[in-house]
Amino acid sequence: MLNNLLKPILESLPENNWLERLWMVSKVDFWKRYYNNKLGIVWAFLNPLLHFLIYYFFFTVVYQNKVEGFAFYLFSGMLFWQFFSEGTSQGISIYHTKIHLIQSIQIHKFDLNLASCLTAFYAFIFNFCVFLLIQMLFGPDFSWYILYLPLLMLNVFLIVLGVGSLLSALYLYVKDITHFWSIIIRAGFFTHPILFPKELILEHAPIAIYISPLVGILINLREVVVYAKPPDLGIMAFDLIYGIILAAIGYFVSQKVSYKVLEKL
Amino acid sequence: MSSPIISLQHVSKTYRVSDRPLDSIRSVVFQMFTSGNMREIHALQDINIDIQRGEFIGLIGHNGSGKSTLLSLILGALRPDKGGELSVKGNVMMLSLGLGFDNHLTARENIYINGSLLGLSLKRIGQKFDEIIDFAELEDFVDTKVKFFSKGMRMRLAFAVGIHAETDILLIDEFFGGVGDQNFKEKSEAVFKDRLLEGKTIIFASHAMPILEQNADRVFLLNQGELIAGGPFEEVHEKYRELMKARREGRMGKK
Repeated sequence: MLNNLLKPILESLPENNWLERLWMVSKVDFWKRYYNNKLGIVWAFLNPLLHFLIYYFFFTVVYQNKVEGFAFYLFSGMLFWQFFSEGTSQGISIYHTKIHLIQSIQIHKFDLNLASCLTAFYAFIFNFCVFLLIQMLFGPDFSWYILYLPLLMLNVFLIVLGVGSLLSALYLYVKDITHFWSIIIRAGFFTHPILFPKELILEHAPIAIYISPLVGILINLREVVVYAKPPDLGIMAFDLIYGIILAAIGYFVSQKVSYKVLEKL
Repeated sequence: MSSPIISLQHVSKTYRVSDRPLDSIRSVVFQMFTSGNMREIHALQDINIDIQRGEFIGLIGHNGSGKSTLLSLILGALRPDKGGELSVKGNVMMLSLGLGFDNHLTARENIYINGSLLGLSLKRIGQKFDEIIDFAELEDFVDTKVKFFSKGMRMRLAFAVGIHAETDILLIDEFFGGVGDQNFKEKSEAVFKDRLLEGKTIIFASHAMPILEQNADRVFLLNQGELIAGGPFEEVHEKYRELMKARREGRMGKK
């Protein structure tokens, strides 16, 4: 499906092996992830949906909360968080899983990071399209502020790319970073405004916005998707710059460790 | 003489290895406070080689003599130790059977993926597609999933894709280990005979002496990381046989 959708676009572009290569590697990985399952790509959506239902049940029935439009608030945040968590976790060992390529062709290590990010990004885009469909049908107010959404998605992509390549470089030296990272992800889920309203952060620890760019992104996301409000452009710019810097550091680090991969793995 | 396409000046490669695995936080921290269990392995020592465009180079030596390290250096996956100079002009690829086919994809899809990885544009793969399938003798299995392929069929497919890649320098590491049946063996040897790879610079690390004898312009002999001979096949092969004999006797003596 995705293939047929993107093929004409790809063919209309001038021949570019770099792009084609990225596309092929990320596409196959994406496809492989869901191929063996009966429900196929539906799992990409089912997974966050089921998680959402659990949290939703807990935080509306068991523990009352006062967040307005909580269902959409929670679900949109969870989709963003899921992309961050999957993209970085799968990116950690990417040099290990793609070692056969490093051994036989000239490929920039950063391209592998990029491809692994894209793989997670496809699922994210698919999921968010389904989410938007549901949101338009049953959701709260819809507004044109939603046009900021691609920018927010790009911003998370940059962060995932940067963090992913830093982690995969670290992985060369410390393999148990994978366990460590899964704890960080878990902690992040409960410290970012996914389950609780933004006010909690803004009142008690406003500094968090400047520590993790995802805090600002999650807040802005809900403004445009759930509350039909304009995003905070200052925070948005800050987060974008944060993302670009992270991706740039990731790029330089991956260049730096490039020659170490075969020795360390 | 034009400038060489590959030039190695005083290239060495040393691996620092630890007897203990150094890949958990605990052991890395531990390593900071203790020292001395690091060993150095000299995989390559002071190699000087110039290779001209279009040459067919054979690389021989016992297992562990540094052949693969040398190929990885030329590929750019490893960097030589400080002090050595390595220059490679043009793109390089390793012709190996390990580039990986995906079992759940068909031969057609795998050709596109592998071709793209090897630097072919999708358009170009389309043009060469029939040629590749024809060479691999898999006309009847184009849209069959690779998981149903026999080992021989996979190897034929890998080889067929590999030789159709457009690259300046082709590294071949131990390729022919009885790949396919007699027919295919003849065919793959004909690749070299007919100069299907004409114009490409080839470095062939192998023990397949007949192929080297027929095709190699020069052969280099590595022993424990040192380049001990280089030149026409007969000359180097003679040295190689002496060396192997000496090693055999050395080992017998130890026993």
